[in-house]
Amino acid sequence: MTRFLVSLGGEVRKGLLFAWSERLQILLELPFFALFILLLGPLAGAGHQIASGRVSWTLHSGRTSLLLLAFVPGLVFYFQAVKLFWRLLAEIQSGTLEQVYLSPLPSWLVAAAGRLVAALAETILVVAAIYAIISAFVPLHYAWTPAALVPAAALVVTGVGYSLIIGGMTLVWKRIQMLQEGFLLLVLVFAVAALPVIEVPGWFAGLGRLFPVTSAVASLSGVLIDRRPVGVAWGTGGLVWLAVTAVAYLAAGILVFRAGARAARTRGTLARY
Amino acid sequence: MTAIRVPAGARLGGAWRILADEAGKGLQLMWQRRAMLVVAAAAQGFTYLMIEFLIGGGRLDHAVLALTLPAYFAFSLAGTAAMQGSGGIAEEVNAGTLEQSHLSPARPTLLMAGRLAALATEGLLPAAVVTAAFWAGYGVRYQVRPDVLLPLLLTIIDALAYALLMAALTLRVASIGAVVHVFNMAIMFFAGMFVPVTIFPHGVEIFARLIPTTLGVLTINSALAGRPLSAAWADGTLPWLLAHVAVLSALAWATYLHTLRRARREGGLSPR
Repeated sequence: MTRFLVSLGGEVRKGLLFAWSERLQILLELPFFALFILLLGPLAGAGHQIASGRVSWTLHSGRTSLLLLAFVPGLVFYFQAVKLFWRLLAEIQSGTLEQVYLSPLPSWLVAAAGRLVAALAETILVVAAIYAIISAFVPLHYAWTPAALVPAAALVVTGVGYSLIIGGMTLVWKRIQMLQEGFLLLVLVFAVAALPVIEVPGWFAGLGRLFPVTSAVASLSGVLIDRRPVGVAWGTGGLVWLAVTAVAYLAAGILVFRAGARAARTRGTLARY
Repeated sequence: MTAIRVPAGARLGGAWRILADEAGKGLQLMWQRRAMLVVAAAAQGFTYLMIEFLIGGGRLDHAVLALTLPAYFAFSLAGTAAMQGSGGIAEEVNAGTLEQSHLSPARPTLLMAGRLAALATEGLLPAAVVTAAFWAGYGVRYQVRPDVLLPLLLTIIDALAYALLMAALTLRVASIGAVVHVFNMAIMFFAGMFVPVTIFPHGVEIFARLIPTTLGVLTINSALAGRPLSAAWADGTLPWLLAHVAVLSALAWATYLHTLRRARREGGLSPR
């Protein structure tokens, strides 16, 4: 047990050191993310106005509050999955990934845990900064309650599962950065579509349910904006769908990562290729 | 020691061969990843449609689609070339093979030019195919005249200059992979793929015009709307586009040579 904890602590520390080495990047990202959220508010659903060349750039508190909620999962996924992908790829290319198998921990746990605390720390920091920047332009209204920790925790678990799926694919196909970017953007699109910002057709909402963040975003919106209790069982943001999504993505992530690792070990491509 | 001067013709032939070898190497690697390229292009195209769906409030607005499709083309090219260019350099640094390629007597600019030729192909293929599919599939109406060729060419050069800049920064910035995602998103949003930049508030529009490919997309849109290039020249878009291409290309090459020199001096061509 001690060895287990020491190994886990070592991986978490390594993840935090990497995050610290990337602090400049976070400074670059902050203004972009804030501006993106501010501008997206008036644009969502404004197809007619855009076609006629006239968009009303009024910032609505309610809509911006919703969009920030949709953006938080995107950040969790970005910090967990995107960075896990690049780090994993670098370790494969430099030949250090094989060393992971000297650890007493399962390989998927080493990959995910090393990133998790850093991803959470980065997300909290960036979200707080974005919140501060956006608040300077438009007031944000949330009904802060500890109940929001339930969808937030589900979101983190789903993010870990999603990052492990990307990690498993990386072990097999290596340079999947374009695919990974496409997936991340789709996650963001369907996160926005899960909120009552625009009317979407049934098929779009149904497709959105398959994406990892939709139920968590719907639940966060219900708790923090509509002041609904978190215990509602059914519906897109309900506890059942939230739990099913989190568990399914985590299980799928572990399976895909283990399958990818097994394939890479069999082919001898864990180190370079 | 006797030095035999290589005739100028042979030097030129050698340079072309090196360029072709580098480009061929890149294309071979692209062919090995062809399945991933196809899937990624499909995912990128699907993402574009979903974004337009969101902007259209649950439906595809064909007028907005016509205005943003050229920006999709530009983003797809710039994003793919930057991501693959940066990923390729990072891979060679991590594997230690970048040092080997610089043992070549060829100039680094020549090696990079060959690499850029392959990246251009890798970026242009999916961008052109998906754009053509949406153009035909959604019946988007453009007035296609020879006037569009110049801004198209300048946009392609601008996109490749951006890719070169990202590849150059790979030698200096450790977490460049994740940074390229953010820069790509900036191009996606501010260069007109979500909505035409002309509808942004004035201050944001000025900022957006500095983003790679924005001015090219504006000029392409103007030409596709049937306006002559003289109109783009008169309103300042074309001169600014020429200036943007020149400055970004010079900056990208200068950054590449600087980061390469520094990496050679500090041992940054192999894993640190």
